[in-house]
Amino acid sequence: MNKKKIYTLWFLIPSTIIFSIFFLIPLVSSLFYSLTVWDFKSFTFVGLDNFKMFFSERSLSTSVIHTLIYAFLTCALKVILAFFIAIFLTSKIKTKNFLRSVVFFPNLVSTIAVGITFAALMHPTKGLFNLVLSTLGAGRIDFLGNTSLALFSVIFTDVWKGVGVATVIYVSGIQSIDKTYYEAASIDGANGWERLKNITIPLVRPAMNSVIILSLIGGLRSFDLIWAMTGGGPGFATDVVSSVVYKQYAAGFYGLSTAGNVIMFVLIAVIAYPLQRFLLKREES
Amino acid sequence: MKKQKRRSLIGDILGLIFAFLIFIIPFLFMLTNSLKDRRGANQMSLSLPDVFHWENYTEVLTFNHGIVLTAFKNSLIITAGAVILLIVTCAMSGYVLQRRRGKVMSVFNAVVMAGLMVPPAILPTISLMQGLHVYKTLFGMIMIEVALQTPFTIMLYRGFMSTIPIELEEAGYIDGCNRGEMFTKVVFPLLKPVTATVIILNAVNIFNDFTNPLYFLPGASNSTVQLTLYNFMGQFSSSYNLLFADVIVITIPMLILFIIFNKKIVEGMVAGAVKG
Amino acid sequence: MVNVSKVTMDYATELKGVITMPQIGWVLDSDERNAVQKQYQLQIATEPSFAETVFDSGEVESNQSQHVIAPVELQSLTRYYVRVKAALTSDSTSTWSDTASFVSGLCQNEWEAEFVSADSDADAENSKGTYVRKGFTLTGKVKEAYISCSALGLYELYLNAVIDLAKEKLGITVEVEQRVGGADGDNIVKTRLASGDMADICLYNSGSLLNALNPSEYFYDLTNESFVSTYDDTYKETVTVDGKVYGVPVASTQAGAILYYKPDYEELGLKVPTTWDEFLANCDALKAAGKTAMIGTFADSWTAQVPYLGDNYNIIAADPSFAKNFEAGTAKYATTPAGVESFQKMVDLNQYYNEDYLAATYDDGCDMLANGEGTHWIMLTQALGNIYSLYGEDVDKIGVFGVPGDDAANAGLTVWMPSSLYVNKNAENMDAVLAFMELYTSTEGLDAYAGVIKADGPYCIKGYELPDDAYEAVKTDMQAYFDEGKTTTALEFMTSVKGANCPAICQEAGSGQTTAEEAAAAYDEDCKKQAVQLGLNWE
Repeated sequence: MNKKKIYTLWFLIPSTIIFSIFFLIPLVSSLFYSLTVWDFKSFTFVGLDNFKMFFSERSLSTSVIHTLIYAFLTCALKVILAFFIAIFLTSKIKTKNFLRSVVFFPNLVSTIAVGITFAALMHPTKGLFNLVLSTLGAGRIDFLGNTSLALFSVIFTDVWKGVGVATVIYVSGIQSIDKTYYEAASIDGANGWERLKNITIPLVRPAMNSVIILSLIGGLRSFDLIWAMTGGGPGFATDVVSSVVYKQYAAGFYGLSTAGNVIMFVLIAVIAYPLQRFLLKREES
Repeated sequence: MKKQKRRSLIGDILGLIFAFLIFIIPFLFMLTNSLKDRRGANQMSLSLPDVFHWENYTEVLTFNHGIVLTAFKNSLIITAGAVILLIVTCAMSGYVLQRRRGKVMSVFNAVVMAGLMVPPAILPTISLMQGLHVYKTLFGMIMIEVALQTPFTIMLYRGFMSTIPIELEEAGYIDGCNRGEMFTKVVFPLLKPVTATVIILNAVNIFNDFTNPLYFLPGASNSTVQLTLYNFMGQFSSSYNLLFADVIVITIPMLILFIIFNKKIVEGMVAGAVKG
Repeated sequence: MVNVSKVTMDYATELKGVITMPQIGWVLDSDERNAVQKQYQLQIATEPSFAETVFDSGEVESNQSQHVIAPVELQSLTRYYVRVKAALTSDSTSTWSDTASFVSGLCQNEWEAEFVSADSDADAENSKGTYVRKGFTLTGKVKEAYISCSALGLYELYLNAVIDLAKEKLGITVEVEQRVGGADGDNIVKTRLASGDMADICLYNSGSLLNALNPSEYFYDLTNESFVSTYDDTYKETVTVDGKVYGVPVASTQAGAILYYKPDYEELGLKVPTTWDEFLANCDALKAAGKTAMIGTFADSWTAQVPYLGDNYNIIAADPSFAKNFEAGTAKYATTPAGVESFQKMVDLNQYYNEDYLAATYDDGCDMLANGEGTHWIMLTQALGNIYSLYGEDVDKIGVFGVPGDDAANAGLTVWMPSSLYVNKNAENMDAVLAFMELYTSTEGLDAYAGVIKADGPYCIKGYELPDDAYEAVKTDMQAYFDEGKTTTALEFMTSVKGANCPAICQEAGSGQTTAEEAAAAYDEDCKKQAVQLGLNWE
């Protein structure tokens, strides 16, 4: 069989057309527009001014830092928490199917709905969280108003919503481990911790890599949860790059907004791509 | 053995308690507050409503001449349109990308991988859509969703294709299929399991999408459910009962989907994430 | 002799937009004594000739002449003609009455139009109120056309009130053309002006945006019209370009000021402060009495900037040329003492806010102030309207004073001016247009307007006394500033440079995250982006 003839490139054309027009062409032209002052009708070339502004103005540059904190922290928490939940949900408990569904369900609820609900739960005076804290005798906490805490409150919510996906990936990874390893290990007298360390963790690595990459990229791109819960505030305390991109768009600074978009590409390219390379290599060795 | 049984029972109980506290209470909170009157809901407590105010739901559905229903219609059109297009285009692409090798193919594969990571360039896209006169239209929105979900969907199809033995196709050629028939009659039916996954995952993603409609579909007439929910956040900022009623209303389709396809969703997540 | 003189439909002689058959009534005129109606005949048709009727009562033996019900199932958007004739007990019979008519609305639930609202969510967030306008083109010749419209909130009702008056008083019919809002609407105005296709009167923003339109090219110079002399000076400035006056105020003003709960002031024997220090002393006294001295509603971030915006009176008082220099890029907030002070005020207030000020919304603020759960709220006076709609007459427990500065003798109010009506230089009916403008600014015109919408601030017309049912805070407190001439417009009327992050920067200062100097510098930096976009050279 002539492979080239059977697997014709014609089959790629529909995807290629749509993907090119609505993704690739704008992506490439964004590199140009990020160097301009632009209002859709006309543009003025300003060189790297937009990028300079982005990094010199505190309100914009902090967003880059927040994005990094947000991405790494959500990623780390999901990787660790989901691992233990998955271990628990693959043990010999009867309700594991039900519990898996429960843990996964928040992922199907829209982010905006989750944001609204948690913003209400975290209300400084009336919220349920503070009610619990005050019955426990602790003082009230302004989860979303306290500027040093707000970002972490959103991170907590993000983990709550996203830990289910990570768990499911781990569960499948753990289930695909050959049972005979464990049997051999118990015959050798390995205890639970040793089995976990020497069998489960190394063999679940492919699943773990997927969790790391997925949640890191998700974290770097995150917008809707932050927007629904704090709108980037108070002040600029929870602004991330994608919310800054939106704010500059809303203000009509299209060139600056596009520059923010380009910064986001660069962040992802610089962090996620080498990381994936590294993880794949480790997996193979 | 007995000891182990007891231990698993304790595990069950602890698991249920934690699941209830951490994952179920927020949903109960939404539900109970959606059934209170304005004053009651604004206290934001977890208590049961004194009187069940079911009329909150009718009020939300009829608010602003039924904008929620219009939004539902729009969201369904976008979701259905985009999912169907994705199935057709990405099944074809995934099939060829998995079977064929060569320089051109590695370029395509690299682009797909990059597309999984890179976020869209928003403003140039809007500008381009204005030029094509598809900005603020349902058609334009469908195209955007298709473009953005294409890499992921191709990856799912490509991954699944690798489990289909090439011998089946060879048999097809011997029976005299041309390449079109080959795909529609032999390959595509074999892709059914992964197509189910594609439907569910993309439907959830697109139905729940907020960011892209925010940029590409502004304006009231083409609002989607997530946009109306977001707008209600401003309008009902002192009527949490209505806000939560809307939350419940737009979560119901996902709940139904979840109950029906619970297993498939999990399988699909796994297939997409691990095999890629 | 008998005559059927006045046929009414639901008590009206003219009726539009009904969806069920109105009740018909009529009046009998007769020179006979003891004239009693014995019999009537009612006809309803869709053609004025009554060649074919949709309802004919035939001769009905009845003395009823009001609330007559005709079993007619209305067709949508149709003009129905009604006529009546009657006979008396004395057997004298009238001829057919003059034909009355009414127009039905959409009766069969066939409402298909989409609601129009803010252009994009971005717009909805940035504007305090949203004007929605819709334009359309008619194809073909029109004999008669009906527009069905419906709106959430108010639309051009107020304008219509004056237009109705104009018809009645001057015999002028004014046709209103609606246009879309936002940037699209802006473009429509600019294009139509440039192509000479503008209507006789055009509604557009006052202040810096007017300057950008190049008004001398397109708009009629109203400087010498008699009504211009009645303008409030501050308003007049916002519609004056190069010494010529172009606009007529379309609505009332409003202010960004301190709204306060008067019962608290009475209880503690406090006086309205004239300096910022006095104001802080009042806050301390309130705090010591266990009250929430300041209401903060930072969850709606735009509300956080009102203390800064409302302080413009004091900035301009300290340096009258600030706005001009700011636009030119030579004056900065961070280097202007009064500018830094403006931000310092927000920092000062931090300790007085309600506990949940970061989670409270604008709506919460209205509730709190009306119930006395907080004493001061620095807000736009449009909040009075919201409070009135929620709490009715309790709105009069609320007073208003301007954000105080340092000089007790010069305590003033920062005012937001209404949009204006501008006259097309080449208006076809110039006389009628000018007469309409004069009516619009007359006491009678303003009364008609105020009869529909309660004012959130005084009108821009000197000597006009607000009606008795105006809010106490507007009628006495705010009016006093206008009478003394102690008003300045908000900065946005003086320059189009306004930082997009103003709410967030004020939120930071108001929640104690930044010092006044940092906030002022951050705001200068933020405005630079707008200057770049506007093509101003700030280097």
